[in-house]
Amino acid sequence: MKSKINIYLIEYAINAILRQKSKSFFIVFVFTLLIFLLTSVFFITNSIRYELDSTVDTLPQIIVQKIKAGRHYDIDVDAVDNIIEIAGVSDAVARVWGYYYFENAGVNFSVVGIEQYEKQYKNSFEKIADKFDLSDTESNPSMVVGHGVKKTMHQSYYKEYFNFIKPDGTLKKVNIAGVFDADTQLESNDIIVTSKEIAREIFDIDEAKATDIVVKVANPKEIPMIVSKIKSIYPDSRIITSQDLKVSYQNIFDYKSGIFLALFIVSLFTFFIIIYDKSSGLSSEEKREIGILKAIGWRVDDVLKEKFYESFIISFFAYILGVGLSFAYVYIFGAPILQNIFVGYSQLKTSFELPFIFDAQTLFLVFFLSVPIYVAATIIPSWKVATLEADEVIR
Amino acid sequence: MIELKNIIKRYELNKNDIVTALDDINLKIKEGELVVLKGASGSGKSTILSLIAALSKPTSGEVVVDEKKISKLPDNFASVYRRDNIGFIFQKYNLIPTLSVKENIILPLVPLNPDANEVQEKLDKVTKMFNISHKEDSIVRNLSGGEQQRVAIARANVNNPKIVIADEPTANLDEKLSLNFIEILRELKALNKTIVIATHDPLFFDLDFVDREIQVHNGKIIL
Repeated sequence: MKSKINIYLIEYAINAILRQKSKSFFIVFVFTLLIFLLTSVFFITNSIRYELDSTVDTLPQIIVQKIKAGRHYDIDVDAVDNIIEIAGVSDAVARVWGYYYFENAGVNFSVVGIEQYEKQYKNSFEKIADKFDLSDTESNPSMVVGHGVKKTMHQSYYKEYFNFIKPDGTLKKVNIAGVFDADTQLESNDIIVTSKEIAREIFDIDEAKATDIVVKVANPKEIPMIVSKIKSIYPDSRIITSQDLKVSYQNIFDYKSGIFLALFIVSLFTFFIIIYDKSSGLSSEEKREIGILKAIGWRVDDVLKEKFYESFIISFFAYILGVGLSFAYVYIFGAPILQNIFVGYSQLKTSFELPFIFDAQTLFLVFFLSVPIYVAATIIPSWKVATLEADEVIR
Repeated sequence: MIELKNIIKRYELNKNDIVTALDDINLKIKEGELVVLKGASGSGKSTILSLIAALSKPTSGEVVVDEKKISKLPDNFASVYRRDNIGFIFQKYNLIPTLSVKENIILPLVPLNPDANEVQEKLDKVTKMFNISHKEDSIVRNLSGGEQQRVAIARANVNNPKIVIADEPTANLDEKLSLNFIEILRELKALNKTIVIATHDPLFFDLDFVDREIQVHNGKIIL
């Protein structure tokens, strides 16, 4: 039985690619580079979006901060008692936290103080409170650190403890009790969890004060109402809901993605103009070859089928190569350079690993943005030549 | 079998420059006949061959082959007509130089998606017939002029066409190779193929197996 796939035509197409080695190599190179960049950006954005979504889920429902002259100040711990009395509030915790700049490595650590007996506002902190004893602040001051923090401290030869430089210039030695394991790396990577007392010492925060207060609400639908009640009690407060934070994160991230996508649309457009220009300017040899094929009995659709195979093979090969390279670049090598552009604070935050997210939609999108357009850009000029009189083309 | 009726063919080089290649030509060629079109370069011989092979269309008039008006055929039907009926041997052979002998010869069969046995059978037949079987895997650009011509003849005959057309077939050959080609023509004639040759090579004149010699001058047939 005769095969429906014309092997001879495919063989001819492969031969045609191999015959024009330098042209084929140039196209594969440019195409692979474009697919690689485009897919890498999509892979990174997918991974970061996943991280952000997971991080947002762990955020407190309401955060209450004190504002004075438009700036954030420490809030009175007493405010917790008033807030917890509001109907619908199931819990309120005063937080002591801040950013500690580690000059040696040029990175910021997020230092969070927790109490052993307090109900924690994050599940991951609850685990720490259960697992590690951070209460002995006098004889054995200790902390639990994120993976990124541990790595950074190790690089500076702090393996068992770390010396914090307090605002008055004196040192505070804190032992590393363990490594913090949370649901997302964005959340846990740069975090140091210790007792509230030590956190107060590191940042020089008075015992009657806290950085902010997190509020837990039993029914999320009541959040706007509770926000308005807190605002009426503390008019000098700024109240941030998890929804506000989600929007804020999303805006920053979408802004960066938007810039990148705009750049890519421009580069994609430029690429296709180059490709179209190259393809439309069929060389006299290529034109002559089409003329010969027509003269010996090939129909226009036979010529176009051959050109389809030729362009499909070359672009699909470049597509597979580009996707493969971008997969390795993002998920094996951690997307150096590009990741920093997207995350945006590489000089301050410690780096994190991108989680692997398989997104068939992305792969289809990149495929349809590249392969069919290239195939069309190749077939159109061939069609123009193939529809001329064979005699005219050969002459 | 082949009939050209009141053929006029004009080429428009640009708006003000129109060349009349054929001027009211009438010609009949019978089945199995071998006709030599003689004449100087630019006389219109090659244009007559193009029209018979449906490689171009006349400006006016009709080309009829086996009672079919091939000058009116749409492009795709003209291709099928060529594939099934015509074996064209071009002056410069028109081979694809970077392909092998075998790949060049089977090119007319490729769109038909034939099975491997059929391809091999047809290939063996023409390569033996035109004495090129020992070069099957050689790349065409590495062959001598005579060998390249034999490849072109093999390609023109791989589909066993009824009509063989040759345009200045000996223009690039020395006398010995030209005589070899004439022997090949004799064999093709013996197979009862209709053969039309355009040439100004005197070797083709007064050959015993040539049925007719037709003089073409300035786009007209001189009787």
